[in-house]
Amino acid sequence: MDNPAVILSIPLILIVVLSLIKMANKKRPDGKPWFRIEKDENDE
Amino acid sequence: MVNHGFESKRTRTMNRHLSMRSGNPALKASAFRKHLSAVTEGAMTLEGTVNKTGIALLLTILSAGYAWGNPAMHGLVFPAAIIGLGLAVYTVFRPQKSALTVPIYAVVEGIVLGVISMMFEAMYPGIVVQAIFLTFGTLGALLLAYKSGLIKATENFKLGVAAATGGIMIMYMINMVMGFFGSGIGVITSNSPMGIAFSGFVVVIAALNLVMDFDFIEEAVEQGAPKYMEWYSAFGLLVTLIWLYLEILRLLAKLQSRR
Repeated sequence: MDNPAVILSIPLILIVVLSLIKMANKKRPDGKPWFRIEKDENDE
Repeated sequence: MVNHGFESKRTRTMNRHLSMRSGNPALKASAFRKHLSAVTEGAMTLEGTVNKTGIALLLTILSAGYAWGNPAMHGLVFPAAIIGLGLAVYTVFRPQKSALTVPIYAVVEGIVLGVISMMFEAMYPGIVVQAIFLTFGTLGALLLAYKSGLIKATENFKLGVAAATGGIMIMYMINMVMGFFGSGIGVITSNSPMGIAFSGFVVVIAALNLVMDFDFIEEAVEQGAPKYMEWYSAFGLLVTLIWLYLEILRLLAKLQSRR
């Protein structure tokens, strides 16, 4: 952590992670999310 | 008549949406609006703009590498900086000539960057690689943030970034004038905590100018700006990237000088 470049790259990593989370949660044009847990109707 | 209707609608939309406040003097709303009616040989595309930005960046990097390795080029840094400034001003006023002026500008700025980088590297070994990594890292991170919608170029955002950029430019100009009299604004060059905070602020503002540029280019493509504006947009991005690189270099130098 002695290297200033490492410290300066922390905000960039944070921006990338937050962007990826935002993209993952973004809904598709058909209104459905990228990830969805559906209830299995045929569950016995 | 149809064409006239199209132009009016397009200009209206541009006027509404392109109250584009860019801190980058090259990418002003009026720059695109002025040239909307000149669409004759096809419209600007995002792919074309990306390609031209890539070519301009490659020319800058190649030229910087050449200047770095040739001590004979070091004497050319001041003439190159003046020629670069002249080319930038000419490009802003004559965007139609961008296809010719922007590649020359990229090469000339490459010489300046190569020599400046070499001087910093001599003082702080390894600093140039770090600055290059951080510059392109910032470009990638902000492109992702823009595409994901994490950072949106709202009107208030544009106003804030443009005002901050203008303030920084005025400060730099005052510093330059003071420099002629052997004085200067200490915070710009000082490695004190205040000087480091100032450099950090300038880096953030330079990085946010990239978001303004992305938004500007996207809108210009949507509104069907003329083909030559691809080179002009590449020029705008190049100007912001060069500024960002130099500010990161300065910030890293300040931080390393305190170790």
